[in-house]
Amino acid sequence: MATVQLRGLRRTFGNVVALDHLDLDVHSGEFVSLLGPSGCGKTTALRIIAGFEWPDSGEVLVNGEDVLGEPANKRNMGMVFQAYSLFPNMTAQQNVEFGLRVRKQSREQRAKRARELLELVGLASAMSRYPRQLSGGQQQRVALARSLAIEPSVLLLDEPLSALDAKVRVQLREEVRRIQLELGITTLYVTHDQEEALSISDRVAVMSEGRVEQLGTPAQIYSGPRTAFVANFVGTMNKLEATVISREDRTVRCGPVTLSVPDPTFSHAPGETVELFIRPEDVRLELLSNGGSPPAGLFEGRVTSLTFLGPVTRVGLTTDLGPLLADVSSAVALGLAADTVVAIGLDSSSLRSIAL
Amino acid sequence: MAQVTVAASRPKPHRFRRARSRVPIWHVAWLALAALVFLVPVYSVVQFSLSGIVPGQNPFHWYLTVFDDSGFKSAFWLSVQISLETVAASLILMVPTVFWVHLRLPGLRPVMDLISVLPFVIPPIVLIVGLAPFLKTFSSWLFVRPEVLSLIYVVFALPFMYRALDAGLRAIDLRTLVEAAESLGASLPRTLMRVILPNLRAAIIGGSLLTVAIAMGEFTIASIMGFTTFSVYTYNIGTSTAYEGVALTFISLLLVWGAMLGLYLLGRGGRSAAGVAITN
Repeated sequence: MATVQLRGLRRTFGNVVALDHLDLDVHSGEFVSLLGPSGCGKTTALRIIAGFEWPDSGEVLVNGEDVLGEPANKRNMGMVFQAYSLFPNMTAQQNVEFGLRVRKQSREQRAKRARELLELVGLASAMSRYPRQLSGGQQQRVALARSLAIEPSVLLLDEPLSALDAKVRVQLREEVRRIQLELGITTLYVTHDQEEALSISDRVAVMSEGRVEQLGTPAQIYSGPRTAFVANFVGTMNKLEATVISREDRTVRCGPVTLSVPDPTFSHAPGETVELFIRPEDVRLELLSNGGSPPAGLFEGRVTSLTFLGPVTRVGLTTDLGPLLADVSSAVALGLAADTVVAIGLDSSSLRSIAL
Repeated sequence: MAQVTVAASRPKPHRFRRARSRVPIWHVAWLALAALVFLVPVYSVVQFSLSGIVPGQNPFHWYLTVFDDSGFKSAFWLSVQISLETVAASLILMVPTVFWVHLRLPGLRPVMDLISVLPFVIPPIVLIVGLAPFLKTFSSWLFVRPEVLSLIYVVFALPFMYRALDAGLRAIDLRTLVEAAESLGASLPRTLMRVILPNLRAAIIGGSLLTVAIAMGEFTIASIMGFTTFSVYTYNIGTSTAYEGVALTFISLLLVWGAMLGLYLLGRGGRSAAGVAITN
């Protein structure tokens, strides 16, 4: 097990800044995901750690030692790629044995280790198959077994599931996490799929424009986004513009409604314009009787759309605060239709404010 | 006890009318025309090589005469030697070069494309007129070595070998395979030998086949440099005995077909390991 530290990594491609003084600490045995949109620098960071790219400046420390001077084949890092990377001329077993062969292990040792790892990824029965005889999911499992065979100090996964269909992806990501926990290997996982990152990681680093916007546990990232980018990128968010009334009371005015924002990081000056973020599941709806006015603390809205998402239905609303989305139980949503007037409540404990 | 018999109405087996693949007549006619274009000269060659025989003589007289001639064997083996040397030199020169250009210097690919077509633009006679004095400045001994001919043929084979390797490398995800091997601890030479070359088998065989065809059939330079290669020998025989020359032509045709078949079979073995992935 190893620690990985990135110190001030900077990498440019012509005028494009791929990494802008990136700092990141990964603890021993930890599973950290680099999450971000295309072009945010997450893959570049991973490739620099693996030794396939070099930074313009900065350091990559593994167990406290800078590894930038070492070529990729001396770094002992397992890597699983986005593209299918099994060697087409070798069987699954030969693929897994490849790294061990490089390390001059005996035939018996290699065969034993390959069997163990293919069993670990549930493919012991496919040892003698060539990559073309394996499905995409199976190929990525073999690639994972191959990268683990060399007992790497760090496991790097570069969007390994993005080429697979949704069901296989969910199944395989759980398997990746199970294996990581079983082996306790320090793992860096690159993905643009927030659900994937949030479901399997110990911590998630949300990246944008070559920097880490926010690093935290999945719950921290989801519930407490610290920047507008993180709020917008992770999950679905309602965004409302508001003006600060009082810093001490943490109150803001949003349209005709005064809201209390119990966010402990609230430090905006009175009069400042801020953006309020709230998740659709934190928006509460109550049916209003004909001509009735909303109870205290709630405000009125009108249903504009209903999108069935299985257990919940996403309700589109127009309000005096602006357009809102609310997730309600699909059973409750049966009583709603377009133009239904509802009373809307915001779970103020979930409100986050970010300065514009 | 009444016995109820259920008449098992056996379902009639579905009769799938075998779909007849109706090939339009003009397809057949076109194919037949193409076959005629290729087969008529071959038939003429065979017929001519079996004629001109005194009654009672072996119908394969001219073929036997060719095989009995010691000049045939020496010319043939000289061409085989030159061909193999040309293939070896081409592969040693081109495989690492094309691999490196694809992997690290993709910007140089247009330059490589341009260089690779130069042998088409420069006629052989021009090449040898320029090359001969240059070689002689080093050593007149060098000029008479068949290895020099092999090196010249490497230039002629360049477009074919380059195109074959280029196509082969484009067909694989070179960068990912190399990086995967590197991440497992393999050096670049090891990656090339163990991972890339086995996946380029078909391309290497294709390029080698064309190189052999060029080296076996080249006449101008071999003749000017004074080597009696297979093509020069065939020409010489043809000028003295037409029947023997034509028999020799047919023999060379059979040899080329044999070589092509052998290389094709080798290539098929290589293709069985590679292929397209099953989706998910």
